Amino acid sequence: MSRVKLINAEEAPLLARPFYASGDPGPIVAALAQVPELLDVAMPFIGATLGPSFIPLRPKELVILRTSAVLQCRYCVEVHTVVASEAGLTADELVALREERPLAEVFDRPDELALLQWVDALALGRGPIADPIADAVRGHWGEPAMVELTVLVGTTMMLNRLCTGLELPTSPETLTRLAELGFSR
Amino acid sequence: MPGRVWIYANYNCNLACTYCLTESAPGVAKRAMDPDEMLRVAREAKDLGFTDIGITGGEPFLLTHLPETLAEVAQVLPTLVLTNGTLFSDVRMERLAPLAELPIALQISLDSPDPDVNDEMRGPDNFAKVVDAIPRLRDRGIAVRIATTGEPDRLDEDDHARLCELHRGLGVADEDHIVRPIVQRGRAADEGMGTTFQPEEIPAELCITVDGAFWSPFGPTVRGGELDTDLLISRTTAPLGRPAGLLHRLVEGRPHGDDVTIGIR
Repeated sequence: MSRVKLINAEEAPLLARPFYASGDPGPIVAALAQVPELLDVAMPFIGATLGPSFIPLRPKELVILRTSAVLQCRYCVEVHTVVASEAGLTADELVALREERPLAEVFDRPDELALLQWVDALALGRGPIADPIADAVRGHWGEPAMVELTVLVGTTMMLNRLCTGLELPTSPETLTRLAELGFSR
Repeated sequence: MPGRVWIYANYNCNLACTYCLTESAPGVAKRAMDPDEMLRVAREAKDLGFTDIGITGGEPFLLTHLPETLAEVAQVLPTLVLTNGTLFSDVRMERLAPLAELPIALQISLDSPDPDVNDEMRGPDNFAKVVDAIPRLRDRGIAVRIATTGEPDRLDEDDHARLCELHRGLGVADEDHIVRPIVQRGRAADEGMGTTFQPEEIPAELCITVDGAFWSPFGPTVRGGELDTDLLISRTTAPLGRPAGLLHRLVEGRPHGDDVTIGIR
């Protein structure tokens, strides 16, 4: 399915090997391993952006799943539906983030609604973002979090296009878990 | 770390030796490096403190520009060229004449003192062409080394002694004769020949090809027509300092970003 060869552990270039140390690193790493010097610098950045930080996991997964849904990234929506579920998001919340139900019907916290409005404006819009939307997210989250969450949207968009462009495959395990959660894809 | 930087001039060859690491043969993808690029690598290698250039293939002398390019490269750094020694026509010999004044040596493969044993691995008439070429090169003042590649049990003491007698008779001294094992990569892996090595057992020598930079000249091997990537350092080869720096970091065992928890799938 993938449009490029996904490098396996035996084929892994030297700089890529640490990422295979714990088993299958997933198709993003396996694709980036074709250019090991890029993988080498990209993964710490991606890990720092998407991984644990001073911002809790729940809002990060709100951003990642919503961004991926509005950019229609099959791979990222499938994977992060499972990750977000494991982070504690409810089934209704997952459905709303995946554009299968209006956000305002499910999310009632003003800080999260402000964040999701910010995500939609960044991921779907062109040109400047309206001041009220920016003021709301800054007011609820503060500037450092606003900066990191904005970088998170951009990084997710980059990964969305990478995964979509290269048609990276979702693992059978993830598809099974999705089915258990009531999602066909 | 510096030392020698290796350059893969090309991957195609007029021979198809049984143990070839790069599956070289007539008609394979050439992966040929431009002469300007070879010279760029040599110049940057010198600036970075490397002391020698090694040029290998394939058969580098299939590149029509090679004699002149070697003359330029050898003016930058001492150069060793690996060749099968079978393409040295009178015309090519004349074009090699300037190399006599330069710090350059041709390392020619010869695997046995017995023509039939040598040719079984390296192709018909290989032995005859090599023993013809070596004195002609030496008569022109071009330094020659001999490389013997083989399985340990194929060259016994008597064979080794006869091979040494042969190369001495051709004017190649003992210190210019190297004996090396077959590395089980490329065609040798398909034939079940040679010895396997872990990366850490292979000395780190920066190796530049058109496909990227590798840990060693044993790195950019080909199997089933596909380039092996397990010893790939980087696709980027310019400036040379980039892959050189990455190789140095790997040699020192300092992984990059290993303190960052990767929280993605």
